[in-house]
Amino acid sequence: MTCDECKSLLSSFMDSELDEVQAAFVREHVIACQTCGLVCEDLASILDVCDSDSASELVPPNSLALWRRIHNIIESEIKPLPSEPQVRRHFWQLSVAQLATAMTCIAIVSSLLTIVAIRNYMRPPGDPTIESAASRSIFEKALGKLGLVETPQQARDRRLKQQQAAIDYWNARVQARRERWDHATREAFDRNLQVIDESVNGYTMILEQDPEDDLSGEMLDSVLNEKMNLLRDFSDL
Amino acid sequence: MIFRSNRRPVTKTTILLSVVFFFALAVGHAAAQKKFSRSYPAGQNVRLQLMNRMGTVEVEGWDRTEVSIQAVLEAPAAVIVPQSLSGTIVINVLKDNQGRGEVGSVNFKVRVPYYSMVDIETRIGNLKVTNIRSGLVRAHISSEGDIELLNIYASAVSAENGLGDIFFDGVLSEGGNYRFSSMRGNITLRIPFNSSFRLVATAPSTRNISLGSCAGSDWNYFGNGRRVVGRCGDGSATLTATNQQGSIAFIRR
Repeated sequence: MTCDECKSLLSSFMDSELDEVQAAFVREHVIACQTCGLVCEDLASILDVCDSDSASELVPPNSLALWRRIHNIIESEIKPLPSEPQVRRHFWQLSVAQLATAMTCIAIVSSLLTIVAIRNYMRPPGDPTIESAASRSIFEKALGKLGLVETPQQARDRRLKQQQAAIDYWNARVQARRERWDHATREAFDRNLQVIDESVNGYTMILEQDPEDDLSGEMLDSVLNEKMNLLRDFSDL
Repeated sequence: MIFRSNRRPVTKTTILLSVVFFFALAVGHAAAQKKFSRSYPAGQNVRLQLMNRMGTVEVEGWDRTEVSIQAVLEAPAAVIVPQSLSGTIVINVLKDNQGRGEVGSVNFKVRVPYYSMVDIETRIGNLKVTNIRSGLVRAHISSEGDIELLNIYASAVSAENGLGDIFFDGVLSEGGNYRFSSMRGNITLRIPFNSSFRLVATAPSTRNISLGSCAGSDWNYFGNGRRVVGRCGDGSATLTATNQQGSIAFIRR
């Protein structure tokens, strides 16, 4: 018996549907042929599972639904569905607490702006260039102390650093050129620089004693600008 | 007698030598100077822009439609190359002598039409501007020198110096802008009695601010009198005067 003849009769052999002669041939071939023996073992194990009690567990309760799911999965793999758009939460979908907080914040900001506007309007026709420490509100001072806004002193320090850097730059250029100046030019330059430095020192001392003296701060800024301009102008000579 | 007869020739010789010496000195001095002169026709919107290095600059308005430039150059004489660029006469002594070593003073005398805009600057030396009626008069001295602005009718005036006096004699235009600044010197502003302006005057060291005929107006004093702010009249012009170590005074014109 060949393997093909055996495989064609194997299913009937397992169901005991063959006569004794055919069954004997198949049995001998299965014993002799390893390949057909393995096929016979597989078939026997399938039949054992089918005959067992757990076979009912393998059967899906709703095979139609199962096939639909399989079909859907296959379709999704073929044509991926667009990602589901994220649902945006609109601003009117706020909770009551959030709305109340927002309204309170708006009210506070509006009130502060109104107060500032009224104060500016009511300010006497004085000097807009002077914003003294006393004229700053408690709110502004508090913000300054919290570090949320730059205080006038901090702004002044920052400006002084910038000016000093510029002065150092122009001073280096002047020092490189002053040897070429005549005597009169050197004397005039030194006299002017001395007067400017006197003013710088004077304002610095005042500000050390009273850091909130904004007029001295403004004048210090002005004389440092004068010094910078003097150095820049003479660096061309 | 012997003495007299012996002395006379000596005295004569001395006098003669002295005359010769002073004459030679004067000639030598004149020879050390150079003169420069040039004229340009002036258009409608003429503007003079002059930047000097050292020396005096005098600008005077006149009733002619031309710009006349005259200069006396001290030795070593500077190079002057004026340029006329679309209505602006530019003289830049600094640029024209860039890279040269020592350069002598240049004393300018410039005449311009009354309506000219004048912008002059020098590193060291006096500046004087007279008889100008225009939109701009600017005089800037980097270090020391006096500024005189006489008979000025300009809507924008700026005068700045280091050490030296500033004297302004003129009329404040409605809506005009006037700025005077000095490190050390006296700022004197001579303006008409009925002038109308808004003032910010600061003299932090001396606190010497004399408001003259405007003293009756409503003034606010800041920083213990270091600054005066207020309006005189309806305050249509803006006037700012700052004198770090000197005084500010208004006088009636």
